[in-house]
Amino acid sequence: MFVHYIDLGWRSLRRTPLVSVLMVLAIAMGIGITMTSLSVYHMMSMDPIPQKSSRLFHPQLQTMDEGNDTWSIDNLPYQLTYQDAKNLAEAPFPKYKAAMLRSGFTVHMNSSDVRPFIESARITHRDFFTMFDTQFQYGGPWTAEQAAAASQVVVISAEINEKLFGGKNSVGKQIYLDDTHFQIVGVTLPWDAHLKFYDVNNGAFNSHENVYIPFSLVAAMDLDTWGNTNGWKFENINTMKEKRQGEEFWLQFWVQLDNEADVQRYGEYLMNYMAQQKETGRFNREQLEFGLRNVNELMDYRNVVSEENEVLVALSFMFLAVCLANILGLLLAKFMRRAPEVGVRRALGASKRQVFLQHIVEVSMLGLVGGVLGIVIAQLGLWGVRVTQEYYSSLATMDWTMLLAAPVIAISACILAGIYPAWLVCRTAPATYLKTQ
Amino acid sequence: MLSMKKVSKVYQTEMVQTHALRDFDLQVNEGEFIAVTGPSGSGKTTFLNIAGMLEPFTGGQYMLDDVDVGSLSDNQRADLRNQKIGFIFQGFNLIPDLNLYENVEVPLRYRGVKAAERKKRIETCLEQVGLGSRAKHLPQQLSGGQQQRVAIARALAGEPRFLLADEPTGNLDSLMARQVMELLEEINAAGATIVMVTHDPELARRAPRNIQIVDGQMADFTLYQGATDIETRQPAEV
Repeated sequence: MFVHYIDLGWRSLRRTPLVSVLMVLAIAMGIGITMTSLSVYHMMSMDPIPQKSSRLFHPQLQTMDEGNDTWSIDNLPYQLTYQDAKNLAEAPFPKYKAAMLRSGFTVHMNSSDVRPFIESARITHRDFFTMFDTQFQYGGPWTAEQAAAASQVVVISAEINEKLFGGKNSVGKQIYLDDTHFQIVGVTLPWDAHLKFYDVNNGAFNSHENVYIPFSLVAAMDLDTWGNTNGWKFENINTMKEKRQGEEFWLQFWVQLDNEADVQRYGEYLMNYMAQQKETGRFNREQLEFGLRNVNELMDYRNVVSEENEVLVALSFMFLAVCLANILGLLLAKFMRRAPEVGVRRALGASKRQVFLQHIVEVSMLGLVGGVLGIVIAQLGLWGVRVTQEYYSSLATMDWTMLLAAPVIAISACILAGIYPAWLVCRTAPATYLKTQ
Repeated sequence: MLSMKKVSKVYQTEMVQTHALRDFDLQVNEGEFIAVTGPSGSGKTTFLNIAGMLEPFTGGQYMLDDVDVGSLSDNQRADLRNQKIGFIFQGFNLIPDLNLYENVEVPLRYRGVKAAERKKRIETCLEQVGLGSRAKHLPQQLSGGQQQRVAIARALAGEPRFLLADEPTGNLDSLMARQVMELLEEINAAGATIVMVTHDPELARRAPRNIQIVDGQMADFTLYQGATDIETRQPAEV
């Protein structure tokens, strides 16, 4: 009977082509707009590293004097000072940990063959690649010895490798970062995560860096950050050495804690560390505080998906509701015009349920066609976002869940709009129309 | 087969109460052919609609094959209608988008008859009404008489025991009307019970039993006895 209902639905849609096209366009527009905003929201809010997000933690330390404020809701600084990041990175526990900062260089080959270009770089520890499951196309991270020796080694992305070496294995080759030559030790594959969750201070939706160099080079080469620096007291800083020894917050720090006991233990470690630092006279406060949030907790804490994004999704659903209201009106007119035929069917033995199902199948078909067309419109919308909003370019895409969700939402929405007209027509008293046919 | 006892039907609006049927009693036996006559607005169609379970009645009792129709749910009435009753309407009521084959197929679909059996029955019924070669035609490509024959084929396809015809020749010229009437007589001879509402006294006289409805009540009852030739039928004493 279901196939028969599909046949009847198809005939019905063909019988009133203009109305059918109008309804399909209405649902397609609604779905297109909704899926555009919903896709961006989905990409923004999805877990960037689902396999490990609950085990990766971002420590925050309260190292300001009593009475100083910062912008965070709990008054904890978002980033760490260099000395804290370095000390925590050199601690024996936990096994995997990485301090990091965003910097950048002019990348070139010291030849006229390749035009120099500016690239942001991540300066970090080698555990970064292990903790964040970075995949390598060629080679791998630098070694611990290279890091300890502040060797001029670099990991580049596949994108840079394509640009400089045509995508061939470049491990062992040299590139220049500003005036310094570096030896390539690894080439990373593109990230799965659309969110740069490990450094939301410098644009959560910015592209991942294409260049990675050892953290030990910060001191060795006097490298400064390209990211945000937050201070809370006056410091006369004239050199990078002074900045590294100062109390400004400009580094991110991550640890991997594999179980609750490790989380507990690390919390205690942080408290002890702060107590030690307090004793050195670095800061003056009664109560010591720290933050230790995993990836998703940090994303919530930092409001990575802002209220504006949620409002936008809500507005797009309201637009879909307006489209549905129009469809409901058209369906009412269309179905009630068919009441005489329904009267005949009822007289010939169709139950109300069968008539109802026949019409629900028909509106589901509308939803399916509208949903598919809606995906095309959504793709156009996302393309528009990519072209006009570079910051969101990595997010303006539909993954397979959104591709599947589009027709499901369209069909559900059409069924919602069709329930009342279908219910009304199935309640048709057959006798009313049989004389007037 | 069909038994109505004191069946009534009242249409109620805010201002007016209209009694379409009052204390209506009727017993129809298996294999009968009954013509129902009466002036316009007398309640003929209301009676037929109630008999076909197309609308509910207000009071009384209606039994169809020992089933108390008043106690059935809407779905049960739809099932019973589909299983036992065939309809022929004055306006044919064919579905314009469906060809003849598909129109005849409609009641069989709702009955859940298998495809092969449906095909056999549809072809047989269309042959029976002389339209076997036009199965793929759409209703609007046929004359009025042909359309009514398709409607009869549709009513027959479900092999109903009870055929309700509402002015089946009302929209046809006399020649077509005669052909349709002959077809109904054949169907009745084959065993189906037929109740036919008509305005035409000539057609009514061809039915072995006539009833007349006036103001929602049975006003007259005429039984033509014994005659198989309509020209010689005479009213019998009741």
